[in-house]
Amino acid sequence: MIAIKTEQLTKFYGIVKALHELNLEVPENVVFGFLGPNGAGKSTTIKLLTAFAQPTSGRAFVAGEEVTGDNLALRAKIGFLPDVPAFYDWMTGREFLHLVGELHSLSAKEVKNRTEEMLEMVELKKAGNRRIAGYSRGMRQRLGIAQALINHPKVIFMDEPTSALDPIGRREVLELVSRLKQTATIFMSTHILSDVERVCDMVGIINKGHLITVSSVSDLQKQYTCSMFEMEFQEDGSRFVEALKQIPWLSKPEFVPDHGRPMVRVTAVDIARAKKELPHVIGESGLTLTRYELVMPDLEDIFVNVINGRDTK
Amino acid sequence: MKGLIPLLKKEIKEQIRTHRLLIVGGVFLCFGLMAPLLQYFMPQILKMASEQVVVEIPAATSLTSFTDFVSYFGQFGILIAVLVAMGAIANELKHGTALITLSKPVSSGAFVNSKFIAISLTLLVSQTVAAVFCFGYTVWLIGEAALLPFIWMNLLMALFLIFCLALTLAFSSLFKSSLAAGGIAVGTTFAMGFLASLPVIGEYLPSKIIGWGVNLLSGTGHPYWGALVVTVVGIFLCLYSSQRILKRKEI
Repeated sequence: MIAIKTEQLTKFYGIVKALHELNLEVPENVVFGFLGPNGAGKSTTIKLLTAFAQPTSGRAFVAGEEVTGDNLALRAKIGFLPDVPAFYDWMTGREFLHLVGELHSLSAKEVKNRTEEMLEMVELKKAGNRRIAGYSRGMRQRLGIAQALINHPKVIFMDEPTSALDPIGRREVLELVSRLKQTATIFMSTHILSDVERVCDMVGIINKGHLITVSSVSDLQKQYTCSMFEMEFQEDGSRFVEALKQIPWLSKPEFVPDHGRPMVRVTAVDIARAKKELPHVIGESGLTLTRYELVMPDLEDIFVNVINGRDTK
Repeated sequence: MKGLIPLLKKEIKEQIRTHRLLIVGGVFLCFGLMAPLLQYFMPQILKMASEQVVVEIPAATSLTSFTDFVSYFGQFGILIAVLVAMGAIANELKHGTALITLSKPVSSGAFVNSKFIAISLTLLVSQTVAAVFCFGYTVWLIGEAALLPFIWMNLLMALFLIFCLALTLAFSSLFKSSLAAGGIAVGTTFAMGFLASLPVIGEYLPSKIIGWGVNLLSGTGHPYWGALVVTVVGIFLCLYSSQRILKRKEI
């Protein structure tokens, strides 16, 4: 089942194209990481999907509802956490969640139960009767998550949910996000790539309003695997580099002595052949191999490659 | 209008917790007390200030006391109504609280109207307290006064304050700056006050109903039904515009 679907979704601000013909499908019960540099169109997309902005053209569907400004059924099915959640500071955390429950037309008993459940879940039970004005940044973020979940949403939109948190706060939020995918689809915009690697099942990369790629993190890594091999030997590998220079299906062999442990690095011209024959070459060299690796790029490398690739087109 | 009741409860609670009701009530009470007290004690105050200079002051009457009361409300009452309402929507847009509230199944009508009703209640309760004290002190210090015209005058004045409130809310939904909303609302209200002296068109402007209230007290002049209708229609139009603006606005 599809939780989020967009068809040619486009948004112009005057002559500035903030989002260009976005076609996206996000399945149910996944954590979808929406990546992009600043100004790429991430927040615009979230605004369009939560009906806080009107598209110039195109349509979007979330949790089976068409996204329009007056579709209150849509709002009943979604949860939304802005990048900097703001609250009525004169209220207590418990009162605020109570209000949100009432806005979702939950019964009095449900409001009470869900408020307590949410306070427990985000570990604000003790601070529940304190005024929000006295909450720390992390506590506010956790209260923001609680208010987004009180209605058992089918789709949760989170705009940069960890950007302002300390490492412990970040870990807590990411653990929560991982747990939530059992019951909901999470659409999370972020530029913290380690967060994406940690919790996201799928990734969409957007730049200058164009969706560049949508894929799982592992597929992206396979797709953008570079043809570089790294080897470490028990003996001095500098002379082996000279031997590698004679092989036509390899290029740029180099000895890297100032790495943590000295290593030999080489790029394959023909990756398939290199995968098959390089181990034999190493065997014939008589060196004792301690590490042999086809280098897998991390998400940061992929992100930079994808964005730069798009820029050069 | 989905979400009106919980939002209204929240708005009323906010009027109390942020001490707005107390402050507005206190200021309005001062207006209510000042009018009869100043009328009654002014001759004595002037006498004490200078024994040599003789200042002729007409004897205090209930009419002069009530006219002063109207005068205070016509200037400072309007300013207070605008001050209370100018940030009601603009500040929520600016600080982002509207973003969370409107992400729930809540209509923009409920969002605007809950604020309108709660602030109206604050103004009405405060004005009622002020009016009760003004009337009581006037009767006690100055002498007999007609109650019914005073009540009608207060109702007309309350309607005008509510019009100012609705106008301010409309500007508050238009701008993210509460100062801009308040400034334009005050400017528009006082401009209407000046235009009210113009022939024909002036008789249909909302500020004319204050004049009607004074006429009721003195038993002279004629009613301005046209201004009354324009005021009521104006309130609805302002609230409708506010909702439309909010609905179309990118938050």
